[in-house]
Amino acid sequence: MSQPSLTLPPTDRQAVRRRRLLELLGAAAIAATFVFLVLTQPADIAGGLGSVSSLVALGGFLLGALLLIVGVLPTLPTSTVVLIPVALVLNIVLGQLMGTSGLPFYLDSIGTVLIAVLAGPAAGAATGALSSIVWSFFNPTVLPFAAGAALIGFLAGVAARYGLFRRFYLAPVAGFVTGIIAGVVSAPIAAFVFGGTSGAGTGAIVSAFRAMGDTLLAAITKQALISDPMDKAIVFAIAAMLVYALPRRTTFQFPFVRRFRVLAGREPAARNS
Amino acid sequence: MFPRLNPLTTLTAAVAVLVMTTAAASWAVSLTVAVGAVLLSAAGGTLRRVLVASAAIIVPFWLSLLVIHGLFFPEGRTVLASWGPARVTAEGLSFALEMGLRTAAFVLVLMVFSFSVRVPELVAALTARRVPPQVGYVLASTLLLAPLVAARLEKVRQAQESRGLVVGRGIGSRAAAIRLQMVPLVLGLVHDAGIRAQALDARGFRSAGPRTSYTEARDSAAQAAFRLVAILLALAAVGWRIVESLSAGSLAALSLSGGGPG
Repeated sequence: MSQPSLTLPPTDRQAVRRRRLLELLGAAAIAATFVFLVLTQPADIAGGLGSVSSLVALGGFLLGALLLIVGVLPTLPTSTVVLIPVALVLNIVLGQLMGTSGLPFYLDSIGTVLIAVLAGPAAGAATGALSSIVWSFFNPTVLPFAAGAALIGFLAGVAARYGLFRRFYLAPVAGFVTGIIAGVVSAPIAAFVFGGTSGAGTGAIVSAFRAMGDTLLAAITKQALISDPMDKAIVFAIAAMLVYALPRRTTFQFPFVRRFRVLAGREPAARNS
Repeated sequence: MFPRLNPLTTLTAAVAVLVMTTAAASWAVSLTVAVGAVLLSAAGGTLRRVLVASAAIIVPFWLSLLVIHGLFFPEGRTVLASWGPARVTAEGLSFALEMGLRTAAFVLVLMVFSFSVRVPELVAALTARRVPPQVGYVLASTLLLAPLVAARLEKVRQAQESRGLVVGRGIGSRAAAIRLQMVPLVLGLVHDAGIRAQALDARGFRSAGPRTSYTEARDSAAQAAFRLVAILLALAAVGWRIVESLSAGSLAALSLSGGGPG
C-alpha cells in the first residue's frame, strides 16, 4: 500500500507550472484592469459614474488578487505562512488606529512590508492581497483595494531583493517610490468604486483639488501622490526598524534573507563549523 | 436561520447582490438593497452589532463625500448656493447621494455576511472546494489571533510601565513609547510563529494528500442550484450593463459624426 509522505510533499512539476501560470494571470488581470480604467475613464461624471468602470475596477482587481493568493500561498514555506496572520493583525490594528486619527496617512501596511522584507516579493504580494480580504470582515470598504495592497507588498520585496533595506536611510526612499506607484494604481478604485475617498483627512485634500477644477480621477490621483509616498516612506522606515531589532537567529531562518543578503551583516556561524 | 446554510451559499448571495447593485447604478436599487440587508440582519438577530459596525464606517464616509461633492463639483450647473470657491450644486448633491447609498449597500451586505458566517464552517467549505489549505489557515488564524495580539500588547505595555515607561506630551516621547511597545510585541510574535511553523510541519501541514475536517459544512442540491442561479443572474446583470453602455456609446458616436459637417 503506497501512502503519500506526510512530511515531504512530492515536487510535482505540472502543479508548479500551473501555480506560476496563476501568478502571471493575476498580475496580468491587475495590469489590464488599470490600463482599461485609465483609457476609458468617463469624461463627465455629472450624469452618474459609468457603472461599467465600477464593475471592471471591482472585478478585475479582485480577480487578480485572488489568483495571486491561490498561486503564491502553496509555494511558501511554512515558516512564512504562519507569519502572514501575524502581519495581517499588525496591519489591521495599526491601520484602524490611524483611520480614526484623521491624519491623511494610512499606515496600514507595516505587516505586509515586514513579510516582504523577510520572505520576498511573492510572499509580500500575497500578504497584501490577503490583508485586504481579511480586513474586509471588519471594514468592507478596504476590499476593492486588494490589488494596490498586493502591489505594495511586491515592490517592498523587490526593494529588499536589491539591498535597499541594508541601510536605514535607503528604506524610506524605496517607500517613497513605492508610494508613488501604488497611489497611482489605487486612485481609480477610490474614484470609480467609492466616488471619493474613505477618510476625513484625505477627503479634505481631494476637495481642495476639486475646487481648482480637476476631474475626480485627477484630484484623487494628486491626493494619492501627496499622501501615499509620505505614508509608505514612514511604513518602510518602521518596518526596517523592526527588522533590525529582530535577532539574526530569527531573520536568517528565512531563505530569502540569506540568499539575497537582504540585511547588512554576515550570516551567524553554523554551530558545528 | 443563517448558520444552517452553507457559508458558500451566503457568500455567493452577497456577492451576486453586490454585483447587481453596482450594475444597476441607481439610488433606488441601492436603498432597497441596504434596507433589505438591515431587515435580514434583524431576522438573524445581529441587527445591533451590524448597525454599530456599519455606522462607524458609513458615517465618516458620508461626511467625506458631502464635503468633496457637496461643496466642490466643477461639473455641476445648477448652483444652489455659493461662498467664495465653494459652490453647492444639485448635481454634486445627487452624485454624493448616489455614491453614498451604493457604498452603504456594499458595507451593509458584507457586514451581514461577516456577522452571520462561522469562520470554521467557511474554512471547512473552502477546503472541501480544494482551495489550498494555507488560505483557510491564514483566514482562521488571523481572526483568532487578533484578540490574542491585543492582549499581548496590553501585557507588554504593563511590563514597560512597571519598568518606568512614562508617556509624555511631546511627539518624541510618544514615538519612543510606541517603539518600546512595538519592538517587543513583534519580536515575541515572530518568535512564536517560528515555533508554530515547526509544530505544523511535524504534523504534515504541507502534505498534498486528502484532509479530514472536524467541522463539516452542510450542503444540499437546492443550495448548489441557488448558487448557480445567483451567479448566472449576476453575470446577466453585468452583460446587460455592458451591452447598454456599448449601445449608448455608439449612439453618442453616431450623433457626433452626424453633427460633424454642420
